[in-house]
Amino acid sequence: MWKPILLLILGLRAVAPAQTPQELIQDAISKQQAGDLAGAVPEYRQFLKIQPEATAIHSNLGAALAGLGRFEEAVAEYRTALRQSPALPGARLNLALAYYKMGRIADAATQLTRVHAEDPKNDQAVLLLGDCYLRMGQDKDVIRVLQPAEKTHPDDLAIAYMLGTAYIHEKQVEHGQVLVDRILRNGDSAEAHLMLGTAKMGVQDFAGARDEFAKAVALNPNLPQVHVLYAKALQLTGDSDQSLKEYKAELAVDPFSFESNLQIGAMLRQEQTYDEAAQYFNRALQTRPGDPAARYQLAVIALDQGKADDARRELESLVKESPQFTEAHVSLSIAYYRLKRPADGKRERDIVQKLTAEAQAKQPGAKAQ
Amino acid sequence: MNLTRRKWLGLASAFGAVHLLGRQTAYAQPAPLFVEVPPSSSGITWVHENAMSPSRYLPEALGPGCAFLDFDNDGWMDIFLVNSGPSDFWKPTKPVRNALYKNNRDGTFTDVTEKAGVSGAYFGMGVAVGDYDNDGWPDMFVTAYGKCILYKNNHDGTFTDVTEKARLATPGWTTSAVWFDYDNDGRLDLFVCSFVDYSGVRKLECGNNKIGRNYYCVPRVFKPTASFLYHNNGDGTFTEVSKGTAIAQALGKGLGVVATDVNNDGRTDLFVANDTVQNFLFVNRGPGPNGRWNWDEIALQAGVGFSESGRPRSGMGVDAADLAGTGWQDLFVANVDHEMYSVYQNNHDETFRDAATTHGVARSTRLLSGWGLKYFDYDNDGAIDLFLANGHPDDMIDSYSMQVKYKEPLLLFHQGDDHKLHDVSDQAGPVFQQYFPARGLAIGDFDNDGAIDVLIGNNGGAPLLLKNTAAKGNNWLGLKLEGTQCNRDGIGAKIYWTAAGKKRFRLKNNGGSFLSSHDAREVLGVGSANKIDELEIHWPAPSKRIDTFAQIPINRYVRVVEGSGVFG
Repeated sequence: MWKPILLLILGLRAVAPAQTPQELIQDAISKQQAGDLAGAVPEYRQFLKIQPEATAIHSNLGAALAGLGRFEEAVAEYRTALRQSPALPGARLNLALAYYKMGRIADAATQLTRVHAEDPKNDQAVLLLGDCYLRMGQDKDVIRVLQPAEKTHPDDLAIAYMLGTAYIHEKQVEHGQVLVDRILRNGDSAEAHLMLGTAKMGVQDFAGARDEFAKAVALNPNLPQVHVLYAKALQLTGDSDQSLKEYKAELAVDPFSFESNLQIGAMLRQEQTYDEAAQYFNRALQTRPGDPAARYQLAVIALDQGKADDARRELESLVKESPQFTEAHVSLSIAYYRLKRPADGKRERDIVQKLTAEAQAKQPGAKAQ
Repeated sequence: MNLTRRKWLGLASAFGAVHLLGRQTAYAQPAPLFVEVPPSSSGITWVHENAMSPSRYLPEALGPGCAFLDFDNDGWMDIFLVNSGPSDFWKPTKPVRNALYKNNRDGTFTDVTEKAGVSGAYFGMGVAVGDYDNDGWPDMFVTAYGKCILYKNNHDGTFTDVTEKARLATPGWTTSAVWFDYDNDGRLDLFVCSFVDYSGVRKLECGNNKIGRNYYCVPRVFKPTASFLYHNNGDGTFTEVSKGTAIAQALGKGLGVVATDVNNDGRTDLFVANDTVQNFLFVNRGPGPNGRWNWDEIALQAGVGFSESGRPRSGMGVDAADLAGTGWQDLFVANVDHEMYSVYQNNHDETFRDAATTHGVARSTRLLSGWGLKYFDYDNDGAIDLFLANGHPDDMIDSYSMQVKYKEPLLLFHQGDDHKLHDVSDQAGPVFQQYFPARGLAIGDFDNDGAIDVLIGNNGGAPLLLKNTAAKGNNWLGLKLEGTQCNRDGIGAKIYWTAAGKKRFRLKNNGGSFLSSHDAREVLGVGSANKIDELEIHWPAPSKRIDTFAQIPINRYVRVVEGSGVFG
């Protein structure tokens, strides 16, 4: 769907007095182009000691480091390059790609938004930004970004898939249907089964959805989100063992899959393997910083581990942001009682009872038929 | 792929969340721990009529309850089985009745229902046995969708419906009930769980499922109700005393209840399992200044109200016992599949910690839905074990779940030397390889061999009577407590016994399980010890008397009478 961009050196200044720096950088570039990234990195670094203001070399070093999976270091180099030259071609997109690879989806989206604003015709940025929004659950933004792209690239199945999925999530069935038809015209594709499965999930035909997702997995196990959706359908049709395997399969494709990290973390927490569960929740938070569900899970782990005050802080923050978050009120009440603050505990408990009563009143059986 | 535009348009886009599911098991076993006693052998031919209709009215899915009781005081456990009956949604086309089976003392039973006059008249649910009038004969309170019935024992093999006279005509949909003496006046009071408000909504049909039929509504859709506490006036009448207390304020969907003492203050508390709303732990705080009894509902802060994720679960079966051997009562709740069951360990400060994972109970029950259950020492080694009866409430679950089945296996847990519960179902016998739509579960020693047997009520099926063969080789002493100043059944008594240098403790709780009532006797397991060196009975108030006995012979049942001694 997208690929890293390798910047070539442009306008490299001569390095006086000796030829050594020039030779050094030419050698590094040759190695990078030949795929010897590990060999290129020390030479770039050596060069940058002499010429730290060589903006393009920082960017090249970033690309080499990213290619080696050393994303933290790559980000530092890209940021240095962009600080020195904010308009450096390709550097911001590369920085976004590094963030994306690290699972810092929100940071990637921030950078891609700038790339998209500066270069609306950059298809790669559009596609990647749409993908980021989809992962963050921001379906309206997916539609906003991809709607124009879909008009200019009507045959792009990736765009059709992401946009169609967002439409379905947003309950815009008619729009979604147009895109599904387009995907279906291309025959038995993983994308088609995925969208069909998603639609079946929408009408709670979980068994039907499960079968569609199984076909999608068979056709393209690398399709983004395919394992997550299959895992959800499996969970809803009672096969939690296979569901766990699918969540793990998604992580093998995308280590920063929010849903997979959240769900596996929840299963581990249920097994009381708290430290391991926390790792998954923290990774989920890298994808969706501030996500209430992941933060809540971490707060409950703190409560389970006897760190009632740590739990209290996070839970107070959560209920402030989301006053209707009943589970957080329950846990906050328990935290207060454990901290010997019964008045606060009772206050939260009263809120729980009020929220529960409100929810109960909305049930159909609460009214005589 | 064949997908038409029309088909596509038929699909909506909202994600729903319905959690259904299952368990896989693999067995193979030699020496069984429990053996099924078939109807051809026991003579118990009664079958539960669940009245299952195309509309799937929810009361159909809950029963039946069952009980072990010695209604004729001959020293042998008889059996009572609750059936459905006429209601505002069902008119039986053929006679439907409860069943009372007299124990013939030879492993067989005789149906004496008609003579006893306990056939029932409503859509029955459960039964609570207790000697409310302290006359030494067990009486029965039968819960129902419709109206409850109090059957007073006439001492001649018959019962009289005294519901109206006793002022116990409890309305609505009642489930489990328990006799206990909350005010320690020496008379058994009565707590009755109320489930949901089903009046006026009985025609609510919960949609078409994937196979195009109605399914049983999840109780979430119905309005919660308050349960009932009745005070025994001592003259054959009762007064409802929950009004104005936490019991009346706590709107729940009660299915299971156990009367126990969670804080060792000598006052009996109540733990109530609720379906789809939080559980309740009513702590008995004694008399209040205005003459009204003080109850605190503390389940949330105690850590037994919600799951560890702050969500209410589908609590059904419940029990209490000193599982950890600390002298404090631990609790148990069975929930629906994927919610895990809970083993609540008492922290001795009115809080609990769920140790279901540590005990291996969480893993074993992940795909099951639990109803009847009981903590008891099935092998008489002196440590509390656990028996679970399971079954999914939705009879069509097999059609749309890959792992969860309508009929589910029984589970047996043995407490090991590590003080943890270990799932021994695979080694427990062929009956643990079968699947049942189990609901009620009662324990009792029907053949008086000191090994506690099990009776299970199956929804829409025959009951299952299991003979315990697991306690062979271990010694025991069976006690029938008889209060003289405290309640006649001795509920609330503390029993301490020492054998082979080990002192053990048991609180005589009452209730527990689901819709069911148990053998009132207590069997004390002593393992290989050949005598009980010391036996101490701490009778509940009003006397609070302590009776101590030494050198008690074993492997027999004895009567222990408050203030009088032990009688063979």
